Amino acid sequence: MSGIQVLSDIGWGILHYIIFYPPVYQYVIIPGFAAALIIVIFIIWFERKAAARVQMRYGPLEISPRTGGATQLIADLLRYTVQEIIVPATADFLPFILAPNIAVVLALLPMVAVPMTSISEYWPIPMGYSLLIAVALSTLSPIFIVMLSWASNNKFAVVGGLRESFVIVAYELIAVISLLAATPMTGTFNMVTIVNDQLSGRWLGLLNPIALLTAFIAVLMSTSGFPFEIPDSESELVAGPYTEYSGLMYGLNMGAAYIRRWAFSVLISLVFLGGWAPYRPTPGLVTGYLVPSLIVTVKAIIVMAIMSFLRAVYGRYRLDQALSLAWEVMIPLTLAAFGISLAEAYFGVVP
Amino acid sequence: MSSQTGVQGSEVPRLPGMVVRPVERRVYEVQIGPAHPGSGHMRIFVEVDGDVMTRVDPDIGFVHRTMEKLAEGRDWIKNIPLFERMAILDACNITLPYVEAVERLLDLDPPERAKYLRVLLCEINRIASHLYGFGIFGVFLGHSTLYMWAFGDREVFVQLAEDLTGARLTHSYPVFGGVRRDIPDDFPQNARKATRYMRGRLDEYARIFLNNPNIRSRLEGVGVLSKNRAAELGVVGPNARASGIKYDVRLVEPYEAYDRLDFEIPIFEEGDALARAWQRVEEIKQSLNIIEQVVDWLEKHPREGFMHDKFWKTAPKLYRDVYEGKIDYAGKYRVKLMPLFATLKVPAGKASARVEAGRGEMFYYVESDGKDVPYRVRVVSPSFRNVIAFKYVMPGHRLMDLPAIYGSFDYFPPEWDR
Repeated sequence: MSGIQVLSDIGWGILHYIIFYPPVYQYVIIPGFAAALIIVIFIIWFERKAAARVQMRYGPLEISPRTGGATQLIADLLRYTVQEIIVPATADFLPFILAPNIAVVLALLPMVAVPMTSISEYWPIPMGYSLLIAVALSTLSPIFIVMLSWASNNKFAVVGGLRESFVIVAYELIAVISLLAATPMTGTFNMVTIVNDQLSGRWLGLLNPIALLTAFIAVLMSTSGFPFEIPDSESELVAGPYTEYSGLMYGLNMGAAYIRRWAFSVLISLVFLGGWAPYRPTPGLVTGYLVPSLIVTVKAIIVMAIMSFLRAVYGRYRLDQALSLAWEVMIPLTLAAFGISLAEAYFGVVP
Repeated sequence: MSSQTGVQGSEVPRLPGMVVRPVERRVYEVQIGPAHPGSGHMRIFVEVDGDVMTRVDPDIGFVHRTMEKLAEGRDWIKNIPLFERMAILDACNITLPYVEAVERLLDLDPPERAKYLRVLLCEINRIASHLYGFGIFGVFLGHSTLYMWAFGDREVFVQLAEDLTGARLTHSYPVFGGVRRDIPDDFPQNARKATRYMRGRLDEYARIFLNNPNIRSRLEGVGVLSKNRAAELGVVGPNARASGIKYDVRLVEPYEAYDRLDFEIPIFEEGDALARAWQRVEEIKQSLNIIEQVVDWLEKHPREGFMHDKFWKTAPKLYRDVYEGKIDYAGKYRVKLMPLFATLKVPAGKASARVEAGRGEMFYYVESDGKDVPYRVRVVSPSFRNVIAFKYVMPGHRLMDLPAIYGSFDYFPPEWDR
């Protein structure tokens, strides 16, 4: 056996058993880190372009006028990457450095629990309770934003972290209940079954639009999108929890919020918007895995683009207004949505 | 500000000039500023108990440029470009009372056409100033669309001012005895186009900002300044009128051509941040009316006499030809001011004047001892009168209301700091 043969065998082995091992692949490639990075870059570009269109200006343009300034964000990313990382002497070093990284890593974790196809060969984990697991994993990351704000040892950061924790407590219940509102109608926590049921064309978002709305608003709150951009409201709290961060660390923090939004968008598009419907996956890597995962990705991008566009329409709510909205309006509405699901399941209005 | 040097029994070292401010145990002190992205250079000490502000202390003076002292060393005419730097986007209103006060000392009255031209630029400046305030207000509330719209539409009026004066911001347009130049031929039609455009845009502003439920919930009932409190604190300008005080220098002491123009002074009774925002919208509408009336008047009357004879008769022939529009001077000649301005000596005496600037009443006191520089110039600007309101209006509100209240008062640090 020649050396080249051995090397290519090892390479094939790495490719097949590590990169294309579904949990790793989903975490690192689609819909995980690599896809999330590209999509975050696209969404930020879209956000700036769409807002610019409303606001009578061009947005990013000069760096490559032919593509409408699409490479602007890549340039920004490069700048963040090579910028000096400054750690204040008063900050608590270890949590200060670790928390943003952990937040990003955990923000991507729900990706490992979602199916991108109905072919069991390409499931990252057994799908029996995947919805429950994905929702549970999505709630881990915000804790580290509170942690990094405390580690910064800065007044703005602490106030921002405090606001973040208020908002987390308010939105989490809404997000969880409204995503779980899908279960009575399908009678399972298995996301593959949930999506396959929707292949009939009756998407859960159409059967229970209130649950879709509450999930949408909860995601906006959780990822500090407008009109709930409260923890890092720049007019009184510089950059909120991220005030002391610079360079790549700040980029990570900013990215973590977008990645969380991306993870939730994937969840929403799977649970409420039919996942890979109307496409029926057939065996084979391309038709069984790549195509359905791209369909889910496109749906999630549309959800995310709508969230981003709200920046051009709304200002930000006050903290107490957002909280009272969450506790006094949204939670009853979410419970009502769950009730609607139960009623529909009882009367047989199921996908 | 309750301040004392050193706290009894503590280990705080006493350094010369150091001010130690004791803070209550349950209270957290946050400093907004001095380098703030939206506000310009000013600092606000805020003590928050939880999320509620318990004490608010505006700390002003970060852009102090000793203008009053500088003015004592400059020729009379050179002080006009100096004072413009207080609020470059409101340049005509800011310098007009100085010009008027010096005119009173010189005992001369500018020609009728000059008065109308001054009113024209004052109103253009007022609109530009309100739009600037609106833009800052919008971005304080996180509403970037209003910010971009207001700054974009302000460009229309900056362009009008440029057509009129040759400069976008620091126009130095009103000078002793008149104004620097007359309107270009196409100005009236451009001005009418601008007013038509702006009326339409104000409706769109109302739709996306003032009637947006999100913004309404931020502004309604926030930062209420009652009529009595406004009078006590001596708040001026749109902020006082939004609290129900019918006071406007254009009304109580008409200057220039305002007594011959037909306009209203809008009043709101609520006194909250929303009323202050609407107040500015209504004032922009009135200013648009005034601009149209002035442009009509300027078209009907002959293009002559925008400078008092005392200065006009010293002008050489080239100057007259250029000023009268007989020569296209765009690229050919540098036209300076009348020679007399360079050697102007103002008779000894004291005079004062006031106008209604974009943010409120602007007051100048000018004293001359007969030399070619002023003996003393005292400036009282509207932002100084308004800033004290923060201290009394903000406590009791939440920290997130601070930008809403700050923006609604349209406070402009360089104007007060001089």
